[in-house]
Amino acid sequence: MISQRIRLWDLPTRLFHWLLVLAFVVAIVSGQVGGKLIDVHGKIGLAIVGLIAFRLVWGFAGSTYARFAQFFPTPARIKVYLKGEWRGLGHNPLGGLSVFSLIFLLTVQVASGLFANDDIAFVGPLYELVSKVLSDRLTGIHHLLSNVLIALVVLHVVAVAFHGHFKKDDLIKPMLTGWKEGVSGEPARGGGLKVSIVALIVAAAAVYGASGAWLPEPPPPPAAETPIW
Amino acid sequence: MKSKLLLALLTLALAGTAAAQVKVEDAIKFRQSGYGFMAWNMGRIKMNVEGGTYNKEEVIKAANAIQAIANSGMGALYVPGSDKGKGWDETRAKPAIFTDKEKVGKVAMAFNKEANEMAKVAATGDAAAVGAQLGKLGDTCKGCHDDFKAKK
Repeated sequence: MISQRIRLWDLPTRLFHWLLVLAFVVAIVSGQVGGKLIDVHGKIGLAIVGLIAFRLVWGFAGSTYARFAQFFPTPARIKVYLKGEWRGLGHNPLGGLSVFSLIFLLTVQVASGLFANDDIAFVGPLYELVSKVLSDRLTGIHHLLSNVLIALVVLHVVAVAFHGHFKKDDLIKPMLTGWKEGVSGEPARGGGLKVSIVALIVAAAAVYGASGAWLPEPPPPPAAETPIW
Repeated sequence: MKSKLLLALLTLALAGTAAAQVKVEDAIKFRQSGYGFMAWNMGRIKMNVEGGTYNKEEVIKAANAIQAIANSGMGALYVPGSDKGKGWDETRAKPAIFTDKEKVGKVAMAFNKEANEMAKVAATGDAAAVGAQLGKLGDTCKGCHDDFKAKK
């Protein structure tokens, strides 16, 4: 038998995935531990902003199986999948649902984090732009969502393990190597270097916007006016 | 005899006044003010550690303020009935503060310890050590927030 394989996940998609795994773990740990690590938490949040922005561009202009339209989980597709009749490549409809949920919730999560505060000594980079009341509310959402996200990621990992053990379909290897073994079909096309550069620029712009570096510096208080009391 | 009784009664009444509990609304206000004021001072220390210039005097003032509030016996402000109500704002104290006294005591004492240490470290003017201690102190704030401060 001639072993067949196709190019499934392009390099940027894989890099995105594993960098996000790393960032997610760091974000969860630094967020739970707090203390000095809260500053790391803020930085890693900005990194995730960049990763998501990159992935959003890639979802429209990346290669075949990385495109949102390719795996958008319509009810019809999910129905077909649940009946066991789905024969596609890449994200199956339920996997697609998981990808969309994760990206959406992560977006809400980083967005709320940018305006959050911990009532100790940490504020998100865009805290200045909102009232304390709104910041508190967003902080509440941020806390709540962190649990939802952890649950979703656990589900994601369990699903991947399930596919590997019971359906004998190794999903991890293609995400590492980019190649899917033992299948035939259209190899992934598109999303070349130029698109990658555009996506990187968009990601950099998103990080810059989220970092609040563009916010006007508060005018330095005249030193002489600091009262002695 | 009569005057002695009167005196005793008067003493009792005065003592009663002295020990009288703060009004719930005021208690909540004092609590919120205390924590808010400490947050200001935490921010001041952080600014000095992270900003370009380290002002030793500023940090000492801030650390001493936190230490003073930490040692002021704020626990007395958690009067019965103040698990709900409005001070400057609706209280976010969780009911557990009033029931799980042992744990509250533990997190509160951990905070006191680090607040005292913060004041000591601030006096040395060692910016790096102050930064590290600020992290430890912030940890003890979080230690209480996680369990006893309601999320919004």
